[in-house]
Amino acid sequence: MAVDPSVAGAVRIAGAMIGGGLALGGGAVGAAIGDGLAGSQTIAGVARQPEAQGRLTTIMFLTVGLAEAAYFINLAFTALFIFSLYKK
Amino acid sequence: MIGLGSHLLSAPLLASDISVGEHPQAKVLGLTVNVDIVWATIIAGLVVVALGMLLRSRATSGVPSKFQLLWELVVGAVQKQVDESIGPRGAKVVPLALTLFVFIFTCNLFVVLGIGSRFEFLPAPTSDINLPLAMALYVFVLTNAAAIRNRGVGGYVAHYLKQPFSPKLFPINLFMNGIEEIIKPLTLTLRLFGNLFAGGLMLSLLAALVIWRLGPVPVGGVLAIPLTIVWKLFDMAIGAIQAFIFALLTILYFDTAMAPEEAH
Repeated sequence: MAVDPSVAGAVRIAGAMIGGGLALGGGAVGAAIGDGLAGSQTIAGVARQPEAQGRLTTIMFLTVGLAEAAYFINLAFTALFIFSLYKK
Repeated sequence: MIGLGSHLLSAPLLASDISVGEHPQAKVLGLTVNVDIVWATIIAGLVVVALGMLLRSRATSGVPSKFQLLWELVVGAVQKQVDESIGPRGAKVVPLALTLFVFIFTCNLFVVLGIGSRFEFLPAPTSDINLPLAMALYVFVLTNAAAIRNRGVGGYVAHYLKQPFSPKLFPINLFMNGIEEIIKPLTLTLRLFGNLFAGGLMLSLLAALVIWRLGPVPVGGVLAIPLTIVWKLFDMAIGAIQAFIFALLTILYFDTAMAPEEAH
């Protein structure tokens, strides 16, 4: 609850916020690019071969899950920075 | 503004008010144990065992019940996946991958019970890093044991030294293969943990939304309910996909471990 009012405490909070923001931003960029690639290739595949849609959709969700995971790992670390680590 | 509750709700919420990774802890034999995670893990395990027992008592070769059909669907999917990636050699992997999938899926479903409070009664056990790490290390040990059994100790060591570059560059080969081998359990852990942890964190952020009110209108409180419902539905889908990915990657790691030498 208590926020450290000293300069060192302020620097810690600022560092946590900036570091967390960078991690979150980078993770979001990577996950978005990955999801976009997976989606675009799926659309291309379905356009070429509409009967493969069922199988492609499953694989696409799998890939999206893998790509999103990178973002969620970053989100977890950001949460650790912002909500937890700097208090110590 | 009546009573202590509404006073607390109208106070500004700081980032420092939300805490993550906090668990009620106990000391057992010098080790610190997250009690709620152990408790939730045991319950998830009991649920999986009970579902298996129930199937065992009701299994029939005649007209199957819906319950049996559901199990057959899951078992069939895992078997098909193993057949496609490893082939008949991988028959032993099916029970492991199936158990991992069902257990992780059950654990992940616990996020539905979360209310975003500081301590949950039944947190998703996979939202603490210890359970995913334990499962990933278990898979790591088993895949390496399978690789040693497949290639022999000499072949196992040679596998690290002889590829991807020529055997003359064996230090580089060892370095790259070593990194790959260490990264495998690490990503397996962090992928599952990160997803479920973020799910729980999102719930507490949505719960914190309740303090947002414009005069007498509790905007945040009204918004929080539909958003929580939507997020929980999304989180259930994430839980299913992550459980599937964990089982699938286990199968793929076994595939690399059990592949004949010529395949590389």
